Amino acid sequence: MTGPTKIRTGVPGLDKMLHGGLVPGRPYIVSGAPGSGKTILATQFLREGLEGGERCLFIALEEPPNELKINMRPFRWNLDDLELLDANSDIRRFEPTPILEISTETEPIKLRSLPERIRKTPDFESQEVTVHSLQQLLKKLFVKRKYHRIVIDSITALKYFCMREFEEILTTQSFIRFLTEAEVTTLLTLELPDEGEVPPEAFLARGEIRLHKLRDETGIKRFISIEKYKGSSHEDLVYPFDITNAGITIHTGTADSAS
Amino acid sequence: MLGGGLLPGRPYVISGPTGSGKSILGAQFLLDGLRRGEPCLLVTMDEPPSEVKSNMGQFGWNLDRLKILDATPDVRAHKRVRSVIDVGTALDVRDMEDVNGLRQSSVIHALEVSVHSVQKMIKQEYANRLERAKESYKRIVVDSLTALKMFSMQGEDSRILIQSFMRFLSELEATTLIVSERLHRGTIETEFFLSRGEIRLHKSLDGNVIRRAISIEKFRGSRFDDHIRPLAITKTGLLAYPNNQMNFRTESATLRVGESFLESRIVGEVSAILENVLHQIDEAHQRQIPVKDIEIAVSRAMLHFQRRHYQKALKQALACDSQLRERLGTLPPPPPRVEAPKPPELIR
Repeated sequence: MTGPTKIRTGVPGLDKMLHGGLVPGRPYIVSGAPGSGKTILATQFLREGLEGGERCLFIALEEPPNELKINMRPFRWNLDDLELLDANSDIRRFEPTPILEISTETEPIKLRSLPERIRKTPDFESQEVTVHSLQQLLKKLFVKRKYHRIVIDSITALKYFCMREFEEILTTQSFIRFLTEAEVTTLLTLELPDEGEVPPEAFLARGEIRLHKLRDETGIKRFISIEKYKGSSHEDLVYPFDITNAGITIHTGTADSAS
Repeated sequence: MLGGGLLPGRPYVISGPTGSGKSILGAQFLLDGLRRGEPCLLVTMDEPPSEVKSNMGQFGWNLDRLKILDATPDVRAHKRVRSVIDVGTALDVRDMEDVNGLRQSSVIHALEVSVHSVQKMIKQEYANRLERAKESYKRIVVDSLTALKMFSMQGEDSRILIQSFMRFLSELEATTLIVSERLHRGTIETEFFLSRGEIRLHKSLDGNVIRRAISIEKFRGSRFDDHIRPLAITKTGLLAYPNNQMNFRTESATLRVGESFLESRIVGEVSAILENVLHQIDEAHQRQIPVKDIEIAVSRAMLHFQRRHYQKALKQALACDSQLRERLGTLPPPPPRVEAPKPPELIR
């Protein structure tokens, strides 16, 4: 008997570490410190989907989508059909002004038609993103069309900025549950502190891919490991990887661990 | 080191301990802008502008055309007899050359600074500038966000405020440097992951000399030099030596920056491995597998560990670990390939 069919991640070497790829329809976490390469890995995952003609959605909570477009240009990936949802909250108003929930206002935009400049906060109203409204918006989108791959960048931003009146862990858990019920393969990026404890969100998803960034006298060394993968076997070792013009490449050939 | 410079129109963070040269770096960034004829703005929240002026005067820089926004709060009115005025309404942006003397706290009212008012002030000035000179600010330095966070965000949700502030800065489409001290290494500070890049300054004591270094921790949308490079504060400002290596390992007069950073991580790793090894030795004893030689090797590893030779300890510990696994027959740790993976969970 064979296991469930898996989908490829598009990151050279990662599929091997995952023993074939990711089990589709489930949420996974990509964690790492700032600057460790999470967004690149996630974009690479979407690109793989786009090449197979799948519908992919990138939900940007950290950086404005126009910057993502510019940042991914050096890799020369064809991301024209990638749909981007701008879920960055606007500048906060201190005077009471009408606050727009994004669920009624925003639609994902294809990368090819995305403007190069940043969206400006309108003068008289501002858009605020809450988990609740984001969830509703996604629900609406899912009814209209079927998405195969979704990236949420990042769940930390979602937790920090979009859960003002909510209990953070519970709400995150419920959001992940929502994604599970939608049966899309989702990558959620998670910020890790330089040192100290791993935030509890890491345990909520079906799997966690962790990126490590170590500094020594020869520069920054990057490593990747699978911390958890439910429903499948995976490599236990920590492998080095590089970020080059072709994106992230994992060197699984060497059996060297992070020594 | 940045592969040519910063990408314009985005906010970046300069971090580092006190006295590592963050403010100088910020000022130098503005100086370069001024020399190119770009309008530049310094928002100061730590130091009064008069001090900034005299401090930077020592480098002989011509900062006269630099606009400076004084967002330092007044002496706090404890008795609340004086009315509190928001800086946003009361203060104006001045040219650097007009700065003289310390602004005295007024007896009648005290200025209080909040993120909102700072934001309002920057916005006003930005719009004014656009109107007056038909050009917008190209470079802004906020010195420092830590002050703002510590003094002006009490009782409010600082994460959302910072997010909104950063959003505000990116919408201005000026290249912004935010000076921030990293207060707790264990927490994820909002400005660090929201910024598009982080330049970190290091400072360490080597004998009785202070050594400085600089590194790029993160830079979205560009490749960068990932080494820690030496840095010096000279008479003409900061100078990084992008071609020099920092020697960590050679004796005496070397720079030990970054080593402690690496060390803290290795310590955790080594102790985890050692613990695992000890556990396996216990198991070996139970199953009566001879592991005498490994025990000796482990004690050697622990000795290295105690002497803080973490690299050696790590090597030794890893060797022990693999030998033990071999002997216990747990290598390779049977990846449950044979066993059929669980069917996908029922999702409804």
